[in-house]
Amino acid sequence: MPGKADVRRSVMFRSAVFLVLLCGLSNVPAGDAIWLNVPQTGTKCVSEEIQSNVVVLADYVVVSEDHGHVPSISVKVTSPYGINLHHKENVTHGQFAFTTQEAGNYLACFWSEGHYQGSGELSVNIDWKTGIAAKDWESVARKEKIEGVELELRKLEGAVEAIHENLLYLRDREAELRATSENTNARVAWFSIMSLGICIAAACLQIWYLKRYFQKKKLI
Amino acid sequence: MEQRRGEMWALMCFLLLNWVSNVSSLSVTVTDVECVYEYVLYEGDTVSGNFVVVDHDIFWSSDHPGIDFIVTSPGGNIIHSLKGTAGDKFEFSAQRSGMYKFCFHNAYTTPETVAFHIHIGHIPSEQDLAKDEHLNPINVKIAKLREALESVTAEQKYLKARDTLHRHTNESTRKSVIGYTVGEYILLVAASVLQVFYIRRLFSKSVAYNRV
Repeated sequence: MPGKADVRRSVMFRSAVFLVLLCGLSNVPAGDAIWLNVPQTGTKCVSEEIQSNVVVLADYVVVSEDHGHVPSISVKVTSPYGINLHHKENVTHGQFAFTTQEAGNYLACFWSEGHYQGSGELSVNIDWKTGIAAKDWESVARKEKIEGVELELRKLEGAVEAIHENLLYLRDREAELRATSENTNARVAWFSIMSLGICIAAACLQIWYLKRYFQKKKLI
Repeated sequence: MEQRRGEMWALMCFLLLNWVSNVSSLSVTVTDVECVYEYVLYEGDTVSGNFVVVDHDIFWSSDHPGIDFIVTSPGGNIIHSLKGTAGDKFEFSAQRSGMYKFCFHNAYTTPETVAFHIHIGHIPSEQDLAKDEHLNPINVKIAKLREALESVTAEQKYLKARDTLHRHTNESTRKSVIGYTVGEYILLVAASVLQVFYIRRLFSKSVAYNRV
């Protein structure tokens, strides 16, 4: 159908023009992220509790007010067991990606080495994506040759699957929590009864011992 | 063929640019004040999010006030303010684009860990539709769907953070139960033994008691 192909091509060409215009007009990096202020002394850390087998993708950029001199920072990313995943000193930008091996608290720390002469604090832009947000949709679109509305719907489908998985995970965690609570409840009951028993046993032992002692001392 | 592939790439990039949703769910330790900044691209965007104080270790005062949460607009006005809370959700419409400041204030000296999630949602409006010919109403519907799914994901993140807080409370309760009970037993036995020794001493030292 040559007519449809022509319409599609013109649509895509217009999109390309729009994209160029958009990138030209906005000087903000695509993909919003959070900005943090790193103090001159001390470290600023962010952490997230992540399950195992999750892809983590992060980008960081140091932003300075004066465009002449961009200060540098050092980064360190550690796994819950203390394994160093990413460590860079004196950089102004960088990125790291890893797949989590174990579930736990993953920590990313930023600190400045003190080379920043200006006043105030450094601004670091961190774009931290985990799980479905870190998925490479470009390669999926390329491999399966889908585009436009179909690609957006595919992304929505991915988001729905992620929601479903999260829900199952939450349900399992809640079941664990419930088991722990019931265990603690049973323990409290048992320990209280035992403490009563120990109290009575101590009292009986005392009486028996004192009686024996006084009898030995011929007081009774 | 080359031009077509290039245009396809451009379209892909364009769609990705429109798609990229802001999902950041991180934890930060608040000693005194911790501020997080977010850049809002378009005026009229909905800024939504939630935060939970995960490491609530103050166990002896159940009426610990929690932390304060203040949102400041690029112009310096305080848009949203929550005082003395251990976790809450928030949502507001950004009146102007720019850098918004989200601050957590901790009035106490013990550091608290706060897990927060901030999302900026953009739905193409009628004006955007009128401006760009290739943005048809289906994009608006897809954007609305996307925002709805994002709100479900945000709710799940909130639940996950609350679950972490409850797990901490539970584990601390467990440890307290064992610790205090064993301590109680030891104390009880020690008190009994001390009593016996004291009574023995009373009766062995002063002989006058035996002579009536």
